[in-house]
Amino acid sequence: MKKTFSVNLGNRVYNIDDDAYVRLREYLDRIESYFSDEKEREDIINDIEMRLSELFSERLSANRQVITLDDVADAIRIMGDPSEIGGAKGKGEPYRSYERYGTHRRLYRDPDTRVLGGVCGGLGAYLDVDPVIIRIILVVLFFAFGVGLLVYLIMWIVVPEARTTAQKLEMRGDPVNASNIGNFFKEEFDSVKKSFKRKK
Amino acid sequence: MDFENAKAQMRKGVLEFCILSILSKNDAYATDILNALKKSELIVVEGTLYPLLSRQKNAGLLSYRWEESPQGPPRKYYALTDKGRDVLKELESSWKDLIEAVDSIIHRN
Repeated sequence: MKKTFSVNLGNRVYNIDDDAYVRLREYLDRIESYFSDEKEREDIINDIEMRLSELFSERLSANRQVITLDDVADAIRIMGDPSEIGGAKGKGEPYRSYERYGTHRRLYRDPDTRVLGGVCGGLGAYLDVDPVIIRIILVVLFFAFGVGLLVYLIMWIVVPEARTTAQKLEMRGDPVNASNIGNFFKEEFDSVKKSFKRKK
Repeated sequence: MDFENAKAQMRKGVLEFCILSILSKNDAYATDILNALKKSELIVVEGTLYPLLSRQKNAGLLSYRWEESPQGPPRKYYALTDKGRDVLKELESSWKDLIEAVDSIIHRN
């Protein structure tokens, strides 16, 4: 069983598997990163989305209604690697380095390690520090200056919660790709198995 | 010397010429152009077409309009502008010159 998303691609609505969505998102983001001119970028992304939409619609039928990872991989093979697409402009280097997907982190609230709102867990993932240490610092700040609680409440309100797998990977700074999502689920599964065993 | 780059640049120049040439016969949407280019094995991956179209459009060589399609959402039809026609004429004559020049060098010995 897989979770699916519904996406609007070239003015059509598609149901797309979780992993296929992440792959496609990553692909389009990479293409985008090759074009610095905003007008040009918009044109190209729109055109490519229209074409992808056409390719997908040829593959789907009444019996086959969901875009899978295979569909996305084939479509990407037909469209070509972003470096080839961007390379047509005669520019070797992407406008924004692709590296950012590997190392770039975003601050989220982590619902998996939450005590209250998951703020400390998210901060911990962002800074690579054990959330317990952050909690201790916050409590000390609260007693010393009385600002800890305020900071916590503001962050609770402002920082978004990491809901999807992609966001959770982003929170930890792992690149969002299919194999990592696979690993992620495997880890989750193992930890559930362990806690189950402990209870027995 | 970077021969791969030289080849890519050559292909790109020819591709721009061919896009204009295809559109001079009929207005077309991206997939029509792709099919014509693929038939003559000029294009390897489809994605290379779109930056070229966008650049030619921004340079005033092409215009586009939206047209209903028999299936699916409306399609973006590209057409040559007057400026595009002029550029195509220039390219055609320089293409002929180029072929003659290269031919004469290759066949001299």
